[in-house]
Amino acid sequence: MSDNYEPNIVAFLCNWCSYAGADLAGTSRVQYPANIQVIRVMCSGRVNPLYVMNALQQGADGVLVSGCHPGDCHYMEGNFHARRRLGMLKDLMEFVGVDPKRFHMSWVSASEGHKWKEVVEKTVEDAREAGPYEGFRRRQIDW
Amino acid sequence: MDLEQLRKTAAEVVARDDVKYLIGWKKGSYGYRVAPVFVEDAAGVAELIFSPLCTANLATYLTLVEKTPLPRGQEADKRKVAVMVKGCDSRAVVQLLVEKGIHREDVIVIGCPCPGVVDQSLLAEKYGDTKELVEVKWNGDSFLLVRGGEEIKIPRDEVLAEKCRLCRFPNPVISDHLISDEVEKRDLAEDSGVSELEAKDVDGRWEYWEEQFNKCIRCYSCRNVCPLCYCQDCILDRLNPTWINRAVNFSENTAFNISRAFHLAGRCIECGECERVCPANIPLGKINRKMAREVREKYGFEPGLDPDAEPFQASFKPDDPEDFIL
Repeated sequence: MSDNYEPNIVAFLCNWCSYAGADLAGTSRVQYPANIQVIRVMCSGRVNPLYVMNALQQGADGVLVSGCHPGDCHYMEGNFHARRRLGMLKDLMEFVGVDPKRFHMSWVSASEGHKWKEVVEKTVEDAREAGPYEGFRRRQIDW
Repeated sequence: MDLEQLRKTAAEVVARDDVKYLIGWKKGSYGYRVAPVFVEDAAGVAELIFSPLCTANLATYLTLVEKTPLPRGQEADKRKVAVMVKGCDSRAVVQLLVEKGIHREDVIVIGCPCPGVVDQSLLAEKYGDTKELVEVKWNGDSFLLVRGGEEIKIPRDEVLAEKCRLCRFPNPVISDHLISDEVEKRDLAEDSGVSELEAKDVDGRWEYWEEQFNKCIRCYSCRNVCPLCYCQDCILDRLNPTWINRAVNFSENTAFNISRAFHLAGRCIECGECERVCPANIPLGKINRKMAREVREKYGFEPGLDPDAEPFQASFKPDDPEDFIL
């Protein structure tokens, strides 16, 4: 691992809480690492486990999924479904041998700009510790 | 096992007007092979067998029927399908009922309490494969191999299939007819395959699975044989978006195997068919059993037992574990 390695992290944020939380962090000028690539989804329940897998395949070093706190979901129960599915995905990934540090899930509400900062810092730190991910990176073909 | 009782029950079932056919096992063409058979009338009943060689899970055929559009004015065939199931297969039927893949009124379940089946590859390895048709029978606590008039007694543990060592449901959990008395439940062997892997660290596990997934030739046999992989529009066949490329390389193989295992998490009933048909001998059973264990221990859910249960991945509990959440 080179010294100037910067992890590349894909974050799936729910439109109603976490995206707004990240927005709040921005407007409040909270400083957090810039390694995060945000993808806005309507609900954390929308995050198909295939998205996580595909992100790792296409060059992400870590994946973060963030949604509303349990009970606060805009769609009543989307984040409960996400919790069950992604919790199992994490177990599966761990069993197959993908470092659990590469996949995180969090609850960040629209008012938690500072929590968002902590979550990002933790995710980036973990991904940095785990190093560049080559595991099952898709082979790039140069024609 | 009393074949008379089986054939009598089967004859009664196929004789009914509202039954289309009965799916059972018959003798294969050579060696240890056993083939599925679709019995439509009482004459075909004589072919049916139930022996330690009947490994195949026939519940697969319930959802494999092609449903072509009907010509105008023609009524759909609403007759029932009867299927012979072992303990593990019956859980597949229940899981299909849970997911509404089949309806209870469309299927007749003929339960076959099962003292454990043999692993044909182990049998061939230890006792040699032959071209002549041989028979294997249950004989108390062992198997009896009948080959060319000669009887060989084989200790149960020597050729028993792996899934049967870990079998918790030897008797059908759902059945309309039982062909014999229920068998006694045995003590479970420890699932050493999974716990050995769990004891390794993450890199060790990755090394192991890297080697396994590299062998995959993407024939999709595991998907095709699985009684619970019956989506009309499978993500593996879908081109837009292409989640998993068709190229056979390590990256795509891993993606395929992870998604296959994930789609079966909380649904797999551990019939071991995927592992049996795999031409590359990838231990898919380990990954399935691991997920089944997680689901059982963390979420207190066991698939394929209660036809009225909610599907695991389509439901939730407010107190699901969330210790992994930041």
